Amino acid sequence: MKISKFCLAAAAMSLSATAFAGGSHGGGHGGGFGEAGKAEDVSRSIQVEMFDNYFEPEAIEVSQGETVRFVIENNGSLVHEFNIGTPEMHEAHQKEMMMMVEHGVIQGGKLNEDMMNMDMGNGHTMKHDDPNSVLLEPGQKKEIIWTFSAKTSMEFACNVPGHYQSGMYGDVNFGGGADTHASAH
Amino acid sequence: MTKSLVAGALGLLMPALALAGEYNISVDRVMIDTGDFVKEGIGYNGSSPGPVLRFKEGEDVTINVTNNLDEATSIHWHGLILPFDQDGVPGISFAGIPAGETFTYTFPVVQSGTYWFHSHSGFQEPNGAYGSIVIEPKGREPFRYDREYVVQLTDKHPHDAARVMRNLKMMPDYYNRKQQTVGDFFSDVSEHGFMNALSDRMAWGDMRMMKADVEDVQGFTGLINGKGPDQNWTGLFEPGERIRLRFINSSAMAYFDVRIPGLDMTVVQADGNNVQPVTVDEFRIGVAETYDVIVRPKTEEAFTIFAESMGRSGYARATLAPREGMEGPIPSLRDAPLLTMADMGGMHGMDHGSMDMGEDDMAGMDHSSMADDGMKSMGDNQMDHSSMAGMDHGSMMMSGNGAEDPFYAKGSGLVPTAANGGKFLSYADLKAQKPLYEDREPTREIELRLTGNMERYSWSINGVKYEDAEAIKLQYGERVRFKFVNETMMTHPMHLHGMWSILDTGAGKWNPVKHTISVQPGTTVFMETEVDAPGQWAFHCHLSYHAASGMFRKVVVEGGPDQGSNAGVKQEQVGGDV
Repeated sequence: MKISKFCLAAAAMSLSATAFAGGSHGGGHGGGFGEAGKAEDVSRSIQVEMFDNYFEPEAIEVSQGETVRFVIENNGSLVHEFNIGTPEMHEAHQKEMMMMVEHGVIQGGKLNEDMMNMDMGNGHTMKHDDPNSVLLEPGQKKEIIWTFSAKTSMEFACNVPGHYQSGMYGDVNFGGGADTHASAH
Repeated sequence: MTKSLVAGALGLLMPALALAGEYNISVDRVMIDTGDFVKEGIGYNGSSPGPVLRFKEGEDVTINVTNNLDEATSIHWHGLILPFDQDGVPGISFAGIPAGETFTYTFPVVQSGTYWFHSHSGFQEPNGAYGSIVIEPKGREPFRYDREYVVQLTDKHPHDAARVMRNLKMMPDYYNRKQQTVGDFFSDVSEHGFMNALSDRMAWGDMRMMKADVEDVQGFTGLINGKGPDQNWTGLFEPGERIRLRFINSSAMAYFDVRIPGLDMTVVQADGNNVQPVTVDEFRIGVAETYDVIVRPKTEEAFTIFAESMGRSGYARATLAPREGMEGPIPSLRDAPLLTMADMGGMHGMDHGSMDMGEDDMAGMDHSSMADDGMKSMGDNQMDHSSMAGMDHGSMMMSGNGAEDPFYAKGSGLVPTAANGGKFLSYADLKAQKPLYEDREPTREIELRLTGNMERYSWSINGVKYEDAEAIKLQYGERVRFKFVNETMMTHPMHLHGMWSILDTGAGKWNPVKHTISVQPGTTVFMETEVDAPGQWAFHCHLSYHAASGMFRKVVVEGGPDQGSNAGVKQEQVGGDV
């Protein structure tokens, strides 16, 4: 890929995000960046492939209120994450992911499921079960249904240590088009 | 005029223009201005460093090298996989390029990444004959960035390199400004007791080394892309951009500890090969190594690229900034590390090597009791060196700063730590992004003891200097495991030409693939090589004055598809080549 293309991608990306901007649309995981969607609301599917260490595609177009089914497949040879959130959320999550590596939960191309379910002593586990993300071993394929109820600066990202920093993220661009989903109600 | 290469040297991105590229390089006498001094040296296309050569993977390159010097020259393409007769080592790959003549290199570019090139004749490289190579991959890279810069480091010395060598031969500590003094001795006495201080001194004297021998050539000015600290090379950025920095250490002798206060660095490539990204605060770059990192300054301010030499006798400095002329704070140099007894390694038969640090190796010494009555046992034995292994190492300035790294001797004084207390890159963190070779058992092991006598400034392998040594013979198709045992007090960056060095970090198929491997004092390090390149190759310590004084071997690969084509190469120049 030509380097100039990267420049365009970066230019398209908004960097002025504020976490949790916009009003809460209620429901699910901390308002402001959307919430887990329902299967009956899905208007379309987007296929996302993971490679070492990048996504294809590296940008998606959504409209506010739309519910999208993401079909995510890891075609790389390392563990990867698909996580929808704001840049600030990703940054915070990267610390948790670092802990998962340090504790041997993520080992290159493998996930240690037993370790993930282990009680860390404070009632917390290192389960990776938030509705806005999936963690996949090579060859695995999973789905997420997400409703983009809030129009804010968002990215989908892999927060396995080093991956986001070296560019494994994609832009979520809110199209200017009509809010089809919302208007249907 | 086929293509001008100078323009891209310090510039922004240059789209690759080449299909099958032809390049012209002239080897010239140039003036090198470090800001501290101006010195005549050797450069390419009229400057030192030379141009950034931008190749494309899959391209067939033709490079016309015109020698405008009044002596023979050569160019070695460091880290490039190519036919051996294009490798540019006089006396091994070819006869060299005589004064006034043009030599045309042609080879296919079969790899991608950050590399460099330099003269392999005499001391032309430390005198300025080096440049960089950037190879754009065929496919997409496993990372992305908005702009990129080459950051090429060197340790420019005010003395001509041949003079440095003469001075070292005459007086090995000529350039060692950090020698221990009588005053240091008395402060050691007050801290550690008279007997320990004395025995420490005697042990060092017995090795013909000094504790401060971290850097044996001091007094240089660190340069980045040819600019001294005051000249402040500057790379521009827009806040929020990802910047790829291609660090290359083209020093004659200096290792650098590199950091950019305020920015994390995500290491994505080492020696031209992609590694699984690891985010660090600081890294040590050995002589001849390259590391590519991605940084992302988000704010509109200047950031200092600060590269302190390992022995803290000098530094290089540059700036990343949104606009020309901006400057960030320049940190002060940290204290110089002191070698410890652990860095003595295999000497005196003591095996403190980090790689096989079993208590059994210590000949049954009871360390726990030694710690209490080490003084008494010392007293009983007086200064008998045969009992050195039984001394209380704990109180003998054995321990360094407490930091640990499996690639340094346990208790080494050299283990680096990040200035901000954060993460310092270790070889153990390097994992291949995509294994280049199938992992398989080596067919045999070759032990190479890195040896030297500091008193005569003589460096060797297995105790034998280059001119007295037989070539190392390898068979095409085998996988050889090299065992480096560093029996000296210095770090040696070992560079095998023509074939990859797969560093054994214990990561199996993820072991990183390099072209230069640093072996720290008192350690044993393994690397494996798939012998897939016929012909004859150089294999040496990349510290200029160590290579020149004998820590150098010729490797001959027997068999393979091009067998016989190496028969005509005469060995005309022995030694002296870097």
